[in-house]
Amino acid sequence: MSATSHRSRAGTILANTVGVVFVVLMAFPVYWVLNTAFKPASEVLSFTPSFLPEHPTLDNFRSAIKAPYFLVDLRNGMIVTAFAVAGALVVGFLAALAIARFRFYGRRAFIMVILGVQLVPLLALLIPLYLMLNRVDLTNSLIGVSITYLVLILPYTVWTLRGFIAAVPRELDEAALVDGCSRWQTFYRIILPLTGPGLVATSIYGFIQAWNEFIIINTLNNPEKQNLMAWLLQNQTNRGTAWGPLMAGAIITALPVVAFFLMIQRHIAVGLTAGAVKG
Amino acid sequence: MQAVDERVVQTPRLGDPIRVRRRRPNRMPLLLTMPALVLLAGLLAYPLARMLVLSFQDMQLRNLFAGTSPPWVGFENYKEILTDGVFWSVVRRTAIFTVVSVAISVVLGMAVALLMRRVSKPVRLAMMVAMMFVWAIPQLVSAQIFKWMVDADFGVVNYMIDQIPGVDFANHSWFADPIQGWAVITTLVVWAGIPFLAITLNAGLTQVPRELTEAATVDGAGPWQTLRHITLPILRPLIIIVTTLSVIWNFGLFTQVWVVRDSKPEQEYQTLATYAFTQAFGRNEYSLGSAISVITVLLMLGVMAFYVRQMFMIGDVD
Repeated sequence: MSATSHRSRAGTILANTVGVVFVVLMAFPVYWVLNTAFKPASEVLSFTPSFLPEHPTLDNFRSAIKAPYFLVDLRNGMIVTAFAVAGALVVGFLAALAIARFRFYGRRAFIMVILGVQLVPLLALLIPLYLMLNRVDLTNSLIGVSITYLVLILPYTVWTLRGFIAAVPRELDEAALVDGCSRWQTFYRIILPLTGPGLVATSIYGFIQAWNEFIIINTLNNPEKQNLMAWLLQNQTNRGTAWGPLMAGAIITALPVVAFFLMIQRHIAVGLTAGAVKG
Repeated sequence: MQAVDERVVQTPRLGDPIRVRRRRPNRMPLLLTMPALVLLAGLLAYPLARMLVLSFQDMQLRNLFAGTSPPWVGFENYKEILTDGVFWSVVRRTAIFTVVSVAISVVLGMAVALLMRRVSKPVRLAMMVAMMFVWAIPQLVSAQIFKWMVDADFGVVNYMIDQIPGVDFANHSWFADPIQGWAVITTLVVWAGIPFLAITLNAGLTQVPRELTEAATVDGAGPWQTLRHITLPILRPLIIIVTTLSVIWNFGLFTQVWVVRDSKPEQEYQTLATYAFTQAFGRNEYSLGSAISVITVLLMLGVMAFYVRQMFMIGDVD
């Protein structure tokens, strides 16, 4: 006796049809941006849109890359993201180690802070952040934005790494300590290697967050000190809209995120529900 | 964590000396958490306090350039905001958008999650792939895609609606009428939000014990009754979390409006987030913007009560 026994064949066909319609609706905007990006300008601005580029071209990608500040902002985005992710991993790992492996006074308060600050809308803090960084001459600099992004992804980093460290059986460290390892040796021989995959997963999430941000960097910095997201935004407003190159730029900007996302997709659902349903 | 500590004290076993030793005041945790605490204090706590202070002052551009401290004005900013009809219309709009968009997203997300359990494997895989792509696209990019699709002259949406016999949608401007404009923004937000909701809820559904739904079926419950009395109650904690998260995200709507309205949203398109930003950085009214932000945070706290409770429970578990 199974739940599927009373499921009719017609029902499955209906469900599959609805499923396919859903896929088409979800995918259409993605298809449309690809379709546009590969069309020459004359086809993009046609009153009767064509559903496939008649003369596919890479011109849009070329002119996006050649556009002012594109390469500069691409590099800026990579620097800022790399700094933020690396910084958050180091700082976050230390803090995660503390809450996963030590019982100390104020531990619970620290956990509450880590969980709580994720609820602070960063946009609301933009004004004081701007004034603060302006005062110490860190507006229009990559350093100011990098530190801000580091803090932006820090709470998530700490909380996720805590989970990965906690998953390493405590008996392993204890055995190492009994066998005469120092605390430091226990850390880099046992905990660090075993949490490697966790570090990768966490850094990818941080990467996505930092790479996608544009309000902070757009507010703090001038065009030559921005990332690709902000570049996309300004490109649209300042010079009318050249849709072809804009869509090409959008693809280039989204590509790293999509690639990373597909890499971690197996872990996403697991991470989302851990503790939520069972706990 | 209480339980662990007690166990250590009460039942020292062989091989436990390390745990007992750890009960000595240890400077290590403080050392480890210090960098994180300093950063959080410097870039979150301090600005938060500064925002509060700023909302009681009158910060002008000249204070910014001269570095002088702005004059205190008491509750002047709050009085100005709370007596302003525009502000209240922004609050109302943000609230209505949040309720509508979250309701649609969660219901559709649940429907898609259930659909995924019913379709054949290849269809499920296709649904998964499509949603992964949508999920991975940055908000800013998806907003620009939608803006392009509803473009008055060259947008594909107008073209396709125009194909319906007797309908003239050529050069139709979607943003002239705020209701239509908000329909576009809502569609965009729901489209982008469904993957998270559907995939999370689907992952939750896989954890509903099959014996329970089977037993219900044996007892003669229809699919609808099984859903209502077995599946939904089990998924309740998860549904609460994803709903509250959606509320938080949609209540803070900024990017989509900002992009779709060319970085200068008209009054009918302002949300609390864009309004505070426009006041602060568009008009250099930093104090007014701060006061709006303070009010927004307070409203958010009310909305987030559920989520905060759930989080405290998670914090307690450890």
